[in-house]
Amino acid sequence: MSKPIYEIVDELPTSGMTVTLLKSLDFVVPGQWQNITGFDNTIRVVTGETDEQMIQQIGERAIQLYNDKSQGYQTALWIYDAVGKGSGALGAAALANKFGENFSFLSFLNRLTPKADTAQAIDLSVKLVAEIVAYCKINGIPGDSIGEFVSALADYSGESLMRMATLVSVDALLPLGPDFIEKVGSTIGGLTTDELQKNQTFDQINNEIPGGDTSSKLGFIGESFRSVSNWMGSFVSSRNLTQESVASNLKKYIDITDNKLDYVSAFLDMTTNYYEHTGVQTLARRLTERAAAEI
Amino acid sequence: MLRLKSPNLLAFVFLSLVLLGGGCYSNESNSRWANAQRESTQGVNPTATSESTQSQTASNRPPRSNKPLAGGEFNKFFPAASDGYTRVASQEKEGFAEYKLKKDGKDVAMLAVTDTVTNPEAAAKFRESTRQINGYPAIDQGSTATAVLVDNRFQVKVLSRNPSFTKEDREAWLQKFNFAGIAGL
Repeated sequence: MSKPIYEIVDELPTSGMTVTLLKSLDFVVPGQWQNITGFDNTIRVVTGETDEQMIQQIGERAIQLYNDKSQGYQTALWIYDAVGKGSGALGAAALANKFGENFSFLSFLNRLTPKADTAQAIDLSVKLVAEIVAYCKINGIPGDSIGEFVSALADYSGESLMRMATLVSVDALLPLGPDFIEKVGSTIGGLTTDELQKNQTFDQINNEIPGGDTSSKLGFIGESFRSVSNWMGSFVSSRNLTQESVASNLKKYIDITDNKLDYVSAFLDMTTNYYEHTGVQTLARRLTERAAAEI
Repeated sequence: MLRLKSPNLLAFVFLSLVLLGGGCYSNESNSRWANAQRESTQGVNPTATSESTQSQTASNRPPRSNKPLAGGEFNKFFPAASDGYTRVASQEKEGFAEYKLKKDGKDVAMLAVTDTVTNPEAAAKFRESTRQINGYPAIDQGSTATAVLVDNRFQVKVLSRNPSFTKEDREAWLQKFNFAGIAGL
């Protein structure tokens, strides 16, 4: 049996590297994210309800809905969790690759790990696909509805918007620079199924990505990235986001003693799990909303 | 090359791990929710179909299936956006559809239709209803919700998400739903 949803929400951390990272990115989406933790507390905050009997009923219904696997909530949570884990492993691989470049005796590492930019590009695009699939699982839309998701992005708020803001800032802009959309588009366009299969993040959620084989999954990943590119481009330009602005805000919490921002990105990848953290919060919100409406 | 600027950060991480490890926080919550968890993971599927509401279908139409209708069936009976409000689709699951109501870019309310066939208690509470909206029994729930039961099966609910959206607003928006259309499903 999987862990009860109330325990998962109760155990969301109130401090630590992930929370610090998310707080440091408040400047990207000011006031959008509050670190809502605790199952009871989430019900109170989301519904504004103060009647204890109502809170009890909402919580019990949310637990029932979550435990019914056919409702899709458990799969969505699994996706957020898996992407977080895959991403952490990527951090280790990307860092090893960097040392491989600096120290020639370790250059053989290039055969074992993808080049950092390629790994980063796959990671970013697979995370986007994970967002689409998890969104569809939670909201009840067929899992390949990229169009529906792109429309919904315009209304993203709270922890969902913060997750996308962190994705763009830490997984795209910081390691890949201002032309990340062109870079990733080009990388994904030239990617082989073999390269994709070796990627840890892809491997983690492979079975949940729409498509009958790796080739069609790669097609879906490319299509997803192209569809969200405009949104990401507007997101960066409308907020005047730059590598420097992201880095300078991170510096308030983490010492960056040189300009190797890809190291920072890899470090954050290994030490934080913003995807799962905000994913649990999104799921808890939606579950609560539905439970409150159904009781 | 990289180090945490604040030495207190590690202390916070450690402290929170100790607290969680000790279960000081989660135990209190567990005792409140453990029964619901046990009931919904043992034996009867809690969201499974109940037949208890089946005898109450309208007389001029064949009995409904005891399976929940697709959420998409409800969409066309929701009220349209008006009076400066915008409407955004939120969730559409089996037996459930929900829209967000926004004003000036802020969430002010949720509009929802639920097929109570999977949750008969939701329909049963309307036995205590003392008033009607557009001919159907209505009740208030807690401090933020007002609901109507259509044809003894479909719960239509408006939930405030901002104090500016009052009980009167909830009733006004409930009246905008196409109850007759929902009853005909």
